[in-house]
Amino acid sequence: MTTDQVHLQVQDISLNFGGIQALSNVSFTVRRGEILAIIGPNGAGKTSLLNCINRFYNPNSGSIQFEGHEVTRYPPYRIARLRIARTFQNTALYTGLSTLDNLMAARHIHMRSGMVQCLLYWGGAHREDIANREVVEEIIDFLEIEHIRKAIVGALPHGMRKRVELGRALALEPRLLLLDEPMTGMNLEEKEDMSRFVLDVHERRGTTILLIEHDMGLVMDIADRIVVLDFGRKIAEGTPDDIYNNQDVINAYLGEADA
Amino acid sequence: MNHSDTLPKNLIAEYDKYGDRTIAMRQKDLGIWRPYTWEQSYEQVRQLCLGLIELGLKREDKVCIIGDNDPQYFWVQLAIQAGGGVAVGIFTDSAPPEIQYVVDHSDAVFVFAKDQEQCDKLLEIREQVPRVQRVIYWDEKGLWSYDEPWLISYEDVCASGRILDEQQPDLFESSVEQGRGEDTAIFCYTSGTTGLPKGAMISHRNLIAGCDQTLMVDPRSETDDYVSFLPPAWITENVLGFTVHLRTGMRVNFPESPDTVRENIREIAPQAMLYSARLWENMMSLVQVNITETSWINRSFYQLFMPVGYKVASLKYEQRKPINLYWRLLNSLGELATFHPLRDKLGLTQVKSAYSSGAALNPDVIRFFRAIGVNIKQLYGSTEAQVHTLHVGDDVKFETVGVPVYGLQIKIAQGGEILVCSDTVFQGYYKDPEASEKAIYRDEDGKRWFRTGDAGHLDEDGHLIYLDRLTEMITLEGGENYSPQYLEGQLKFSPYIRNVMTVGGEDKPYVSALINIDFDNVGRWAEKRGLAYTTFVDLSQKTEVYDLIRNDVVRVNRVLPPPARIHKFVLLHKEFDADEGELTRTRKLRRGQLSERYDDMITTMYGEDDSFQVRAAVKYRDGREGVIETTVHVAILDTEED
Repeated sequence: MTTDQVHLQVQDISLNFGGIQALSNVSFTVRRGEILAIIGPNGAGKTSLLNCINRFYNPNSGSIQFEGHEVTRYPPYRIARLRIARTFQNTALYTGLSTLDNLMAARHIHMRSGMVQCLLYWGGAHREDIANREVVEEIIDFLEIEHIRKAIVGALPHGMRKRVELGRALALEPRLLLLDEPMTGMNLEEKEDMSRFVLDVHERRGTTILLIEHDMGLVMDIADRIVVLDFGRKIAEGTPDDIYNNQDVINAYLGEADA
Repeated sequence: MNHSDTLPKNLIAEYDKYGDRTIAMRQKDLGIWRPYTWEQSYEQVRQLCLGLIELGLKREDKVCIIGDNDPQYFWVQLAIQAGGGVAVGIFTDSAPPEIQYVVDHSDAVFVFAKDQEQCDKLLEIREQVPRVQRVIYWDEKGLWSYDEPWLISYEDVCASGRILDEQQPDLFESSVEQGRGEDTAIFCYTSGTTGLPKGAMISHRNLIAGCDQTLMVDPRSETDDYVSFLPPAWITENVLGFTVHLRTGMRVNFPESPDTVRENIREIAPQAMLYSARLWENMMSLVQVNITETSWINRSFYQLFMPVGYKVASLKYEQRKPINLYWRLLNSLGELATFHPLRDKLGLTQVKSAYSSGAALNPDVIRFFRAIGVNIKQLYGSTEAQVHTLHVGDDVKFETVGVPVYGLQIKIAQGGEILVCSDTVFQGYYKDPEASEKAIYRDEDGKRWFRTGDAGHLDEDGHLIYLDRLTEMITLEGGENYSPQYLEGQLKFSPYIRNVMTVGGEDKPYVSALINIDFDNVGRWAEKRGLAYTTFVDLSQKTEVYDLIRNDVVRVNRVLPPPARIHKFVLLHKEFDADEGELTRTRKLRRGQLSERYDDMITTMYGEDDSFQVRAAVKYRDGREGVIETTVHVAILDTEED
């Protein structure tokens, strides 16, 4: 693999909370333009890993390289400028705002106008607002959420909130998209819709996607490669077929058979 | 209106008249209403038509279309027709086997499938539809990576059309010129409650006649707006939407997505609207629910002014009395505070014609909308002969579906079947001469009549009373028919009648009915009149209550021919109960059970006695069982008088 193909490199990351070792020496790479899924039983450290990548957590040791930047040295707000966007396991939207406003809020890193200009809403600020609205409208169209454009997010059902959250992540125009269980709590139809959107994002925008998901069937279907974590350690990495037949993974999920 | 005899010729005529100065249609896209002028419409149809010819479309070829309402759908349909083909609409929610049936049965050579969802369905049935040469899509989302030469984009077809246009600049006009009014324009597959769907062949002349006949009683103009959201595979959208647009220049507005229809209707506030009875009912309950959640001031206005609206509407439409200054003044205040804002929320601020089709509309819904200033009218029609009747102006009667449209004749055949004669009567069912033969007959003057399969009759004002499908009618001993569904439906419109079952059949000389009174409403009515009662049993057997219900039965009887009228009825001593197996859980009558249970009572109604002693076991809510003993009276009506 050439360095050009490596989009995100996680090297020997360790993270502990007091005596609990959440992650120990985890290393893997995410290639440019692939969908990499991280799976593992509950408490395996999947979300902690995502939190390290976008700097919610501070890893105790190790390095994370994204497009040549050492992200462990960056404060969290700089991560968005690097175009790393994420969604959360439990949606974290502005529940008092509309779908449209939630998406527009994510455009702030693409806005240059100052406060006075925005107050006057004149010239540059006006043009910028329209340009950003166009980007947001494309996303609304893409995710088929026209009907909830002006709905207050707090009043939306779970499946729709998940979609709005994906929309907000896309509004950042990310180069790396971190998705933390985007399909939890959804029915089959909603899951199918969401999978289609994830695949469309990947295909249409060439976005690199790092995905945590519990639904194994779904992961097997959409991921290019899979990394398996168990008790903070990486126990396997490979294509869906490799993982499907990997004895360590089977043991981690089903428990070891008594010999 | 112009004199062109095909839809594509109408397009050219309108284009010549309006060019790029007038908006033909709008679609909401990316949050903005985007206008298309007549010139743009014309250009799209021209390019697409030539592109189809380049792909191999020949005259009389069939082309299927499956997609939501949008300008492209409209252009596709016209392009097919401009090339001499027949457009066959398919409902978007059809499953692959249903699509396969229509594509295969219609002998389609091309299929327009809007998006990934529809293209996937076609790819699934590809092996079964070998005649289809290409599938053309116009929303490429999700289809970017399909490597499938069977699929081709709308844009690519237009591009090859532009090249052909340069080589043969007269081809489009000459192709349109070859079209004749009697050419088949569309196939509409009827949903077919029995057996497989049938493809009704409808000519350009049929569509234009259907449109013009309706416009004679309900005119539209180029300053009117219309929101296109009914399925375009359905005849109604073709006549009242597409054809009216081409005949009058009425602007057609396409919603952003099927989920945003209500919001988009509000933004456009169209002049004409057609909803199913169900949708009108939904709208009313939506208002009633939302009013409980609105601010207290809006709620108080609503509670204050709705009774005023009801009162004024009743004076105006039902009692047909002049409204005095006092009520007029109050109503204007209500208009300001409640009625106009409500209409605005529902997109009804500019509506001139609000139609309901399908099942009979509950008078409560009609009264509600009249109270807020919208007079809903009933419309009745069929795929095969388009719009048959509608209510014109303020001449609205609850029990009828209105009067025949201009130029359409209705007569009632022996046996009560509604027959329709008009230029709108279709050409027949595709590849089904037997069914066509059954559906159309020629009278001695050579006029073509369509047998609707519906039962009904005309009242003295020329209004049509639609009863039911002929197959649902029940025959009496003397051979006459009556409609249980109509009688029961109409009786249930009375606030005093909770439920009713009519009885009849080949062993019965006349129709009778078992009626449940509505305890709450009848109780309130009795209290107002100082009529003392103890229980349901007691109340139901009061002479005054019998008289009250008799009025409703007489009202319903009045519009029916004497044999179809209710001759005797009883007011039951108890309500029909789902717990006792008398109703289904969805509150439908279980006729078999009921006939068995009330057999003695029914026998009495066909005998000489005018009362009947009941001893019935009842199950109380708490599980206890008891016995009711009472005398139930039989009411007899003179069914011969008017």
